[in-house]
Amino acid sequence: MILEIENLSVDLGEFKLNDVSLKVNRRDYVTIIGPTGSGKSILLETIAGFYKPLKGRILLEGRDITGLPPEKRCVSIVYQDYALFPHMNVFENIAYGLRKKESNASVIKEEVKRIAEILGISHLLHRKPTTLSGGEQQRVAIARALVVKPKLLLMDEPFSALDVKMRESLRKLVRRAVKEYDTTVLHVTHDFDDVFSLANRVVVMKNGKIMQTGRPENVFSKPSNDFVADFVGTNILEGVVIGKENGLTLIRVGEHILYSTDHAEVGERVRVSIRPENVTISNEMRQTKNTFLCSVEDIRRGTNLVWLTLRSGDLRFKVVTTPSSIDTVDVGKNVFASFKAVNVRIVR
Amino acid sequence: MLVNFKSFCIFVAFLFTFLLFIAIASLFFVPNPKDILSSLQTEEMLYSLKLSIVTSAISTIIVLALAIPIGYSLARFSFPGKSIVKSILDLPIAFPELVLGLCLLMLFGQTFVGKSLEAVGIKIVFTKLGIIVAQIFTALPYATRILCSTFESIIPRFELVSRSLGYSEFETFKNVTIPLARGGIFASTIITFARCMGAFGAVLILAGGSYMNTETLPITLYLNISYGNMGMAITSGIVLIVISFLAILVFEKVEGGRL
Repeated sequence: MILEIENLSVDLGEFKLNDVSLKVNRRDYVTIIGPTGSGKSILLETIAGFYKPLKGRILLEGRDITGLPPEKRCVSIVYQDYALFPHMNVFENIAYGLRKKESNASVIKEEVKRIAEILGISHLLHRKPTTLSGGEQQRVAIARALVVKPKLLLMDEPFSALDVKMRESLRKLVRRAVKEYDTTVLHVTHDFDDVFSLANRVVVMKNGKIMQTGRPENVFSKPSNDFVADFVGTNILEGVVIGKENGLTLIRVGEHILYSTDHAEVGERVRVSIRPENVTISNEMRQTKNTFLCSVEDIRRGTNLVWLTLRSGDLRFKVVTTPSSIDTVDVGKNVFASFKAVNVRIVR
Repeated sequence: MLVNFKSFCIFVAFLFTFLLFIAIASLFFVPNPKDILSSLQTEEMLYSLKLSIVTSAISTIIVLALAIPIGYSLARFSFPGKSIVKSILDLPIAFPELVLGLCLLMLFGQTFVGKSLEAVGIKIVFTKLGIIVAQIFTALPYATRILCSTFESIIPRFELVSRSLGYSEFETFKNVTIPLARGGIFASTIITFARCMGAFGAVLILAGGSYMNTETLPITLYLNISYGNMGMAITSGIVLIVISFLAILVFEKVEGGRL
């Protein structure tokens, strides 16, 4: 265990943390998600030592750092707006933290060279930050934070000012850099792609409280409450277990029968979750179990994905798919929606 | 209607600029150039010029040494009584310099502060030290205002990142905040120096304005106007304008493009 947060409370007036507890293992990549104002950034900045908690403790490698100033914590932070020192060039920015620890100029040069190569910014070392693109500036900011080999790397929406393509390339670089530097990361994001492509754990926050933590696939497929389900976009349906069939659990949801590989007792009232991306739609009936004829209520088109709202009797759920798979689909038309029994997760 | 209003505003701006320009120019063109040159070489003028420059330079250094921490504390920290501190610091901008001089005369003449200082051999009233004290109190509010807004304009995240990279509060201030505030510090240095050079009311009351003793350039102007010696008065006025102009010129040259 590298980080233990015990009953942390912070009050900044408009923003608060209420009795937050969290444990992070060494080498974990934790993404923190939640609506705006949920306390994600305050949590990071309190761990960094910028805010004094009203109560609670922060333990880093078993040592209580709650009262320590930021410079004594070995915790680096990367912001969305990069915060590169404009009066220093890229080399000086990256070397800034190293200079505090290391007086040997050749060691500093070697370390800067190493991280610059990993993050692909070796050719920018002599440039001033203001002459760089957003993606380049963010790579410099990550290099500056990582080069000091922090015990914890905190990132506050580091990719949100970048375009989709740049985000994807930065994710690859960050994944590699974090592995090379053997660092534990806490990463605040609004982008679920960050969660699935980088994190082995996710924390969902609301109103200064942690609502759920766990592996991303578990949190997204088995949200612990309605807020998490709604926030992560999971369909939650309420039903009753009516029987068992070939190792599958049969759940009645309204007039429909759903099949799940999860176990529950017959007669038990349960909630089932189905991820929107696990629902496939077609014009033909593909399988018998968990297939329903639905009408399309709503279609919302994004850059790469399309969100549909489908209804089958009293069953209403969201589906996310690619634009090419709904060429012939339109609002009011009928489609077959199906999902595997393994994707029908029982939530109690 | 909008065009008329726009024209009116521009007209007022030009009218006032023209009047100000004529007023300044008249100082240069009305007197006889020979008088000006001879006045410049008088012992009194040289003494007054030297005293003004030396005291203003010392005062500027002291003002900056005080205004930087004051401006930073007002920009960055929350503390009880902050708004009161801010209001009191700004007061000298609002009330007449003569009143400020009177307040300082009372403080350093009649109260325990002045008496304690005199007991340890520091005499402020009617001395050259009084000039410096008066200049400091006159210029400090201006320097503090400029520096406070300069520090406020620097994103605190620069400092937070520096702290997270192992630097203490003071080291961060030295390595990050001060270099980023360079433009504002330079601006406040120029404004402070110009303000100290032109300080009159407070200097007259606290330091006395005595001939060839506590006689700074504005005092020379005042004393010579009183005697009816217009040549000397106008010369000291011209010297003050030239110094202000040079200060603004240097400021524009060094920081104009950067701010």
